[in-house]
Amino acid sequence: MDSDKIGVFICHCGSNIAGVIDIKRVLNEIARAPNVFVMDHTYLCSKEGLNELKRKIAEEKLSKVVIAACSPRLHERLFRRAAEEAGLNPFLVEFVNIREQCSWPHMYSPTAATNKAIALIKMGIEKARLLTPIQRRYARAKKRVLVIGGGVAGITAALSLASLGIEVYLVEKQPTLGGHMAMLDKLFPTLDCSICILAPLMSEVSEHPMIKVLTLSEVTSIKGRPGDFEVEILKRPRYVNEEKCVGCIEICSKTCPVEVPNEFDMGLRPRKAIYLPFPQAVPLLAVIDPDHCIGCRNCEDACERDAIDFNQTPERIRIHVGAIIVATGYETFDARLKSEYGYGRYPDVITSLELERLLSPSGPTRGRVVRLSNGKEPRRIVFIQCVGSRDESVGNPYCSRICCTASIKEAICIKERIPDAEVFILFQDIRTYGKGYEEFLLKAMRDFGIKIIRGRASSVTANENGDDLIVRAENTLTGEIMEINADLVVLSVGLVPPSDTEDLARMLGISQSSDGFLLERHPKLAPSETMIQGIYIAGTIQGPKDIQDTVAHSKSAALDAANFVLHEKIELDPYVPTYNPDLCKRCRLCEEACDWGALTFDKEKGVIINSSACLGCGACVAACPTGALDMPYFTNQQIIAQIHATLENKCEFPLIVAFLCNWCGYAAADFAGTTKIQYPTNIRPIRVMCTARVSPLMILEAFKAGADGVLVVGCHPQDCHYRTGFSKAERRISALKKYLENVGINPRRLKIASTSASEGERFANIVREFVEELKKLGPIGSELVMKSAG
Amino acid sequence: MSASEQVIQLEKTDPKFVEEIIEYGSKIFGREHMETITACFQCGTCSGSCPSGRRTAYRTRLVMRKALLGLKDEVLSSEELWYCTTCYTCYERCPRGVRTTDIIRVIRNIAAKSGRMKEQHKRVARLLIRFGHAVPITDEFKEIRKALGLSELPPTVHSYPEALDEVRKLIKIMKFDQMVGYQESG
Amino acid sequence: MKYALFLGCMIPLRLPNLEYATRNVLAEFGVELVDMREATCCPDPIGIRNMDYLTWLAIAARNLAVADEMGLDILTLCNGCYETLKTAYVTLTEDAEMREKINEILAKANREFKGKAKVKHLLEVFYHDIGLQKIREMVKRPLEGLKVAAHYGCHILRPSEILKFDDPENPRKLDELVEALGATPQQYEMKTLCCGAGLRNVMSEYSIRMAREKLVRVKEAGADCMVVACPFCFIQYDMGQFEIRRLTKERFDIPVFYFSELLGYAIGLSPRELGLGMHRVKVDRVLKKIR
Repeated sequence: MDSDKIGVFICHCGSNIAGVIDIKRVLNEIARAPNVFVMDHTYLCSKEGLNELKRKIAEEKLSKVVIAACSPRLHERLFRRAAEEAGLNPFLVEFVNIREQCSWPHMYSPTAATNKAIALIKMGIEKARLLTPIQRRYARAKKRVLVIGGGVAGITAALSLASLGIEVYLVEKQPTLGGHMAMLDKLFPTLDCSICILAPLMSEVSEHPMIKVLTLSEVTSIKGRPGDFEVEILKRPRYVNEEKCVGCIEICSKTCPVEVPNEFDMGLRPRKAIYLPFPQAVPLLAVIDPDHCIGCRNCEDACERDAIDFNQTPERIRIHVGAIIVATGYETFDARLKSEYGYGRYPDVITSLELERLLSPSGPTRGRVVRLSNGKEPRRIVFIQCVGSRDESVGNPYCSRICCTASIKEAICIKERIPDAEVFILFQDIRTYGKGYEEFLLKAMRDFGIKIIRGRASSVTANENGDDLIVRAENTLTGEIMEINADLVVLSVGLVPPSDTEDLARMLGISQSSDGFLLERHPKLAPSETMIQGIYIAGTIQGPKDIQDTVAHSKSAALDAANFVLHEKIELDPYVPTYNPDLCKRCRLCEEACDWGALTFDKEKGVIINSSACLGCGACVAACPTGALDMPYFTNQQIIAQIHATLENKCEFPLIVAFLCNWCGYAAADFAGTTKIQYPTNIRPIRVMCTARVSPLMILEAFKAGADGVLVVGCHPQDCHYRTGFSKAERRISALKKYLENVGINPRRLKIASTSASEGERFANIVREFVEELKKLGPIGSELVMKSAG
Repeated sequence: MSASEQVIQLEKTDPKFVEEIIEYGSKIFGREHMETITACFQCGTCSGSCPSGRRTAYRTRLVMRKALLGLKDEVLSSEELWYCTTCYTCYERCPRGVRTTDIIRVIRNIAAKSGRMKEQHKRVARLLIRFGHAVPITDEFKEIRKALGLSELPPTVHSYPEALDEVRKLIKIMKFDQMVGYQESG
Repeated sequence: MKYALFLGCMIPLRLPNLEYATRNVLAEFGVELVDMREATCCPDPIGIRNMDYLTWLAIAARNLAVADEMGLDILTLCNGCYETLKTAYVTLTEDAEMREKINEILAKANREFKGKAKVKHLLEVFYHDIGLQKIREMVKRPLEGLKVAAHYGCHILRPSEILKFDDPENPRKLDELVEALGATPQQYEMKTLCCGAGLRNVMSEYSIRMAREKLVRVKEAGADCMVVACPFCFIQYDMGQFEIRRLTKERFDIPVFYFSELLGYAIGLSPRELGLGMHRVKVDRVLKKIR
């Protein structure tokens, strides 16, 4: 409405914005816009700032608000709520990102950055003029949570949730709960027995009335939406009747003729095809390994309780849950990838996890540390640290955190059993950061005489008799090359994400960090949330950490999930399309565009929208040729107004209009800014929920209005938050390029690219390369001029 | 009382040395390749892998450290700088991706340009300029070739003198002949 | 199969028997060799490259340009030549600015680097172009009972990001070639250790001691002989055994073969046709071991 008065609030964010952007110049420029009230504030998100905001809305009788500050992905809710408290509909607020996408990535170009900030704010104002009130959308969440992974993280989260009266499904793919913690001998820095403190928790979980444990199970598909996820679980057959088996294991396993390496003991000891993974397994039931069972049925004949059942088949279980916690843990680095250490070539080169099994009193050697080559006690043991960590040559530049303290603990355990043994640890750095860890190191050095050498081992070879190993390393503190004769070498292997993490992430629609672990919403403030409401992460799947941090993290995830499902109502995105039957030509292209069946066609009423099935991607809106379908808060008119506003003043060449999807493209741009990656100022970003929202008309409008280039950045096609949204955008753009070519505009001016939310550098490169390319192509229209000139 | 000579005093170091190395090498390998020297975190994998390291005082890790500290004279005039066999084992194993061998070569180039070139290497270079080969043919080997049924002179520049003129032209353009003290008569 | 033969310096001028054996063996496989008559030293990676990188690159580029004009891929017989020429090739094909700069210099000698001639090592030609199957078929005198320690050398494996011939820490192609001849590839410690040739000019004692380190390991493992793919490695281990004896009085008696020689013997060529008499460490005793 023309009588609308728009309030523009520009935040300094301390010096984060004000240090680069000339706020005074922005204020002067914006004040000249019609029907606009503008003011600045040092910290708009502070209590004082928000009060000021609310006060001004009332005083100045503002009908719409523009917040020019940090990324909406950070404080959108906060400001909408503040506007609501001041009496405005919360969706009459538009956000302009002048921090992550302006001051931070353009720190050394203050003038250009200020010009860009002005253009972005003008864009925000023109959109705000066209905003109309939208009602918040609510749904009820199911009071049930799925926890994927039955290790210490999953167990902790499950117990926390159950104690709040929330139903939990705990899904574990192994035949027993416990994860890696069950395999460890003692824990640092207390040296208490790992399985002893874990087993009671495992029992508690299995007996808890609110928790349903599904072992031998994996999640195969996830549909639905936050608050109501439809999950399909595949439960593999145990071939053992869970009611009848008492886990005695003696009789059936004795009769089994098959012997294979026992995975729980890292292959250091055999097990039968019918086996109990370890004595404290939960559930305490035998399990038959179908890959190695030869079907002789000796066990069936022998079992006095008639507990073997070869008729069992895989079960598909479908459940509806309100939230999901991913607690799938880690795998250890494959030491064979460092061939210079000889793992796999020399039997006396073992990994830290294999050592844990040797140390364990219920392990293959009943707790005796021996050389695998000859079963004798070792006299000199050398630990090599950072195997597969802090190592770009194997693609793992990160530190795995726990290995320093773990090796110190293992060294102490060895010295306790073999006091005369000489134990060396070859550290690159000693990272004993946790509570009591530094004191633990002192104990190791002073009370146990463990020898510390600073230097990364370069190779492990055998000596001339072939019975001893030679570890070669530079002692960097003395500058000498050392060759240490050892009879046992322990490789302190790093932690890597489980091999199925990519598939799982895709299934859930969440992102991985650059190291392959799952991405948290914010590393400091939201470590157990993901970008998707209702999906949380717990434990090492978010990144390497020790057990105490895992437990804290898991309780945090449980609280996040409880918070979500216990609310009377949860808020959903309000971006369900609106329908104007008068404009509808009944072409039904929208029905075709929707992959979710959210649109149905009725001969009389026209298009019927099922709001609970609608995900809000906007693909149907972009497909509609008449504008009968439109998307609230991202209407066609609003976006066109943004395009025109930003191209009003072409203050730099080339000028690129960029459509960035909320989940990946926009997030990556934010990430680039947050990590202070610098890139050229030549882009004007427009946020959309999904690149599928971008219609060909918008792109053409951008070129008509003078954009030298149009950039569309969305998720990688297989990661699209709306599954097929990006692929739709790709197809539209490739068709549009042909059209551009036909009318004489260079199709290279239109570019579509993918990033994931954490690919800040990639986003910056895309912008840099596009700017260079457009410089070569010249301003828009220059190709037409040349044509007419002959 | 001045500090002991064993002490490194920052005022006596050349903080521009690293940049000099990076600049020089950038022309050949590109900046990114050369800037890897700044990523060195002194783990010692390079020295530990070095075949020269375990029988001489040469420490690859120390060369990187000293270069980063700006100990220019020490690095350029050290004997050990010439003990690297360029076996590339450290290059393959470096966990930070430091391009060790290439960096050593660049430092050697800088040392050579500042007049610290080994006489043995100058000799080899002069032979190349004179004959087109790093080792010249001798009568003994002419005989051996003949006895085997091969051509007396190998079918390379030894048999095709115009090619040698070409190479000499290139070397003169690069001023390499001056660098190694090659005179037309010698 | 036709290649431009790049002889380098060491083989034609100090180890002509290796040239002789290689020519004879490749002829048996029907490989046509055209001499690169205008080729010079690759140039020497130690002496020249250490002094002025650009001069080294220009001379290497000129050799590549010669092959471009011949319209053939280059076949090298030496690890040093291989790494030099291949690195120069990759540098000039990937860096357009550098290529322009070098071509400006080459133009003064009427040469142009076009990047058409690829660089191949003898072992590459045997393993990839000829293939193990063909080699097995050609073997008339399988080297059964012969335990051969394969020494790859540095510059056929590293830098692996440029050469991409085999796994730099765990190579197997030369072992597979040895196996194809009917011999047993003997595994030994420190398999990827440098022969030390790079130090020969500067610190000959250390250079000899490096060679010794490998010979000790090879002997420990019980190998009958060694096989190499580079004339520098050959000299380090063949003549080197005598230099070691002077230094430490140790005797190793481990004959060293250049790969073409071993292959030649297996496909039926006589010791005379392979110039085997010219080895410093005599090979007869070892050849008798073959059943």
